[in-house]
Amino acid sequence: MTIATAADVAAPAAARRDWFFLAGACVAAALLAALVLLDGQPASAALIGLGFALGIAFFRAEFSFTAAWRRFLVRGEAGGLMGAFLLIAVAAVAIVPVAALVPGFGGAIAPIGPSLVIGAFVFGIGMQLANACGSGTLYTVGSGAGRMLIALALFIVGSVIGSLHLPAFLALGGVDPILAANYLGPWGGLAVTLASIAAVAAVVAAIARRRGANYAPSRTIMIGAIAIGIICIGVFVAGGHPWSVTFGFTVWGGKIATALGLDLGGAEFWQWPGPKRALKDSVLTDTSSLTDLGMILGAMAAAAAIKPFARTAWPPLGSLLAAALGGLLMGWGARIGFGCNIGAFVGGVASGSLHGWIWFAAALAGCTIGIRLRPLFGLSRE
Amino acid sequence: MRIVYMVVLVVGIVAVLADHLTSPSTGRAVSPEDFAGACAPCGAPCPSTRK
Repeated sequence: MTIATAADVAAPAAARRDWFFLAGACVAAALLAALVLLDGQPASAALIGLGFALGIAFFRAEFSFTAAWRRFLVRGEAGGLMGAFLLIAVAAVAIVPVAALVPGFGGAIAPIGPSLVIGAFVFGIGMQLANACGSGTLYTVGSGAGRMLIALALFIVGSVIGSLHLPAFLALGGVDPILAANYLGPWGGLAVTLASIAAVAAVVAAIARRRGANYAPSRTIMIGAIAIGIICIGVFVAGGHPWSVTFGFTVWGGKIATALGLDLGGAEFWQWPGPKRALKDSVLTDTSSLTDLGMILGAMAAAAAIKPFARTAWPPLGSLLAAALGGLLMGWGARIGFGCNIGAFVGGVASGSLHGWIWFAAALAGCTIGIRLRPLFGLSRE
Repeated sequence: MRIVYMVVLVVGIVAVLADHLTSPSTGRAVSPEDFAGACAPCGAPCPSTRK
């Protein structure tokens, strides 16, 4: 009788491991961390490391806002959506009180008006065409989905175009951010935030029940949501603000456009202090760029650790066109609507900011359009 | 696709290095929300400020 040893069991996994990309991702992340440490910035190195951890967590849990929202809208299944609510609740426990009580920390806020609603709606269309949101684009790009390289490129283009349009959309009007902690204090704000998450989760569960669908998240989704929620708290502690993704894309696009000879300095968006500094300074001094780069490399390491990297064939042309159009719409929508599922929805709701829920509702409405458009590109509605 | 990824990885890292080495690096990493008057993660001003 032959008895399999642990080494025998591990051998096939090791054989499938893609050492080139596994080592490349780890070395690249270490190199970026070393650069910021040489500048005396341990918090920046922590953001790269936390981004790396996010890439691994998203990849291992296959955590997808886009697929979860589509399953809910098409079939009524709400397990994935519940996972997102759990993630937000975990993050909110730290973000709401710390942002209100500790100097130097702040929540994710945004004005409430037409810009927020229009941007989120367009983002929702784009995320269903691209089959990923902001964080999803990062981890699928990192994990070897070539289609998403196209989505990311157009996401960057769209976000630069959006940066040029945002001031005009802000001029349509709106009100200042509404933050629960500003009205109810840190603990009252936290209570209302958690209650709002529970109330929306109850409504979603009721809809799922009525449609005869499952609304309990799987064990993998629950573990992933808790892990990602805890890492979100880490990003908040290291960066001083909740995790955000898409401003990094805008900065990358702005730098590329400038290198190509386009002068963005005259555009109103790029004269605001934050974007102006980000365009001028090193990309490694922008918090969202640090976590974005870390997340791509983390997902790459996680994918290369278990299988040959990027060995699949390119998808059909229709799928590539959907990725391109989806990326463009997401980039534009994220800039007009103040972020993506992470910066606006997760960060906003976890900060107790009303705009997070408005973004969610508008993006969910946009998803219904995006789902109807998917068959035009040869993509399944489910 | 694998070759494309190798090129993207190398070009991306070189671009980040080049940008970092040729741009000012003024201390700790910041978000646009860290600046006075910012009202959103992208640094947009508040509607009350714009008025």
